[in-house]
Amino acid sequence: MDFDFNYLLAQWPALLDGMLMTLRVSLLAIAFSLLIGVLGGAVRALRMPVLSQIVAMYVELIRNTPILVQLFFIFYGLPAIGLELSLFWSGVVCLSVWAGAYQVENMRGGLATVEHKMREASMALSLKPHQYFYLVALPIAFRTSLPAVLNTAISLLKNSSYLQAIGLAELTFVAVDRIATDFRAIEMFSAICVMYLALVAILSLLTGRLSAHLQRPFRH
Amino acid sequence: MSAMLTVRGLHKRFGEHEVVKGVDLDVRQGEVVVIIGPSGSGKSTFIRCLNSLEEPSAGSVVVDGGESVRANDRRAMARLREDIGMVFQDYTLFPHMTVMANMILAPVRVKGVSKADAQANALALLERVGLKHKADGYPGELSGGQQQRVAIVRALAMKPRLLLFDEPTSALDPETVGEVLSVMKGLAAEGMTMIVVTHEMGFAREVADRVVFFDGGKIVEMGPPAQIFSAPEHPRTRQFLQSVLH
Repeated sequence: MDFDFNYLLAQWPALLDGMLMTLRVSLLAIAFSLLIGVLGGAVRALRMPVLSQIVAMYVELIRNTPILVQLFFIFYGLPAIGLELSLFWSGVVCLSVWAGAYQVENMRGGLATVEHKMREASMALSLKPHQYFYLVALPIAFRTSLPAVLNTAISLLKNSSYLQAIGLAELTFVAVDRIATDFRAIEMFSAICVMYLALVAILSLLTGRLSAHLQRPFRH
Repeated sequence: MSAMLTVRGLHKRFGEHEVVKGVDLDVRQGEVVVIIGPSGSGKSTFIRCLNSLEEPSAGSVVVDGGESVRANDRRAMARLREDIGMVFQDYTLFPHMTVMANMILAPVRVKGVSKADAQANALALLERVGLKHKADGYPGELSGGQQQRVAIVRALAMKPRLLLFDEPTSALDPETVGEVLSVMKGLAAEGMTMIVVTHEMGFAREVADRVVFFDGGKIVEMGPPAQIFSAPEHPRTRQFLQSVLH
């Protein structure tokens, strides 16, 4: 059994670059997917005609097709109709659109738990419907859906490793690339497993903090 | 005294079912009108119509000598809302905001009052109901009676000309009913115009200028409390009072 730590130390700068790329792509996509989730969740929860059906179709389409196919569609398919994105933005768009579908459902679930009387109280205070939505309904709903939102964010981070299939130099790509020349598979895969675990742990920790802060009004 | 509220021919239908069947009501400035009646008589639906929480099917409403608004004109009714405050049965404070944030939300966001002014006003109002020390607390930390007192001053923070109460003590523990009723009595004494739907007959007798008895979606009888409670004219009123006063 030979596990060469020195090899890993030598490869550390490349791995770090890969991890930073994974982080950049993932954090951007988490932000965009949340935006999709909030807007789509609102459209669904408020049952806006036509829009609601379109969002429902989007959610079904994304949840029932493989993410790898979605990625190839964006990277190889869209240029054929004149929509050419860079490697990086193909990755961001793919992960955002994929996770956005799940975040729509997460936010819709959270919004469904907001009691009708909150809406009536807002109306009685003359708040406009959009003010009710972002000042009252959304903050209450977000607390309910935060665990599900976090789960989706973690899945997004893990699924960023699919982007190696189009050649984006993220963490998995770096590992596979090195293994092709150095044949140090056990070292490389162990190392990136630990790095993914660390990233997920940090994300969970931050969300846990946020959740504890947001739950303060409700802990009685 | 001048009319604060004039309602004519108010109807509310839910599909085939007519819940409010043509109500006329005039409320003078500073008057306290208490609406009593059996469950399902349409009294809650009636005051919810005044605040356009329900969309009336027909009728007209005038607030404080303003223009007469067709009751089924949704937008025009919504404009009246800024002059009408409402207190609900189950407090409906926003649970994710502190008491202070609840108090200043509408004045700042709807009326454009500066945050500092809204806070100063909110503190004064909270002090009046003995809850200044709870300004930074969350609704979940307060008792039902305390939450309802905050809900009342939250409505007052919008400086309404008319205040509606929809069974404000029905969800409270018996021992906290008194603290809410005493706040309402204080408001009445200061000349606030109020319409109160309640089952608290003691409050009606003591505080009301006029008691309105609702049944079957209509006003059956109204008059000063002494008359309604001691010498009701209508047999339906007598029957109802006998059952609630034992």
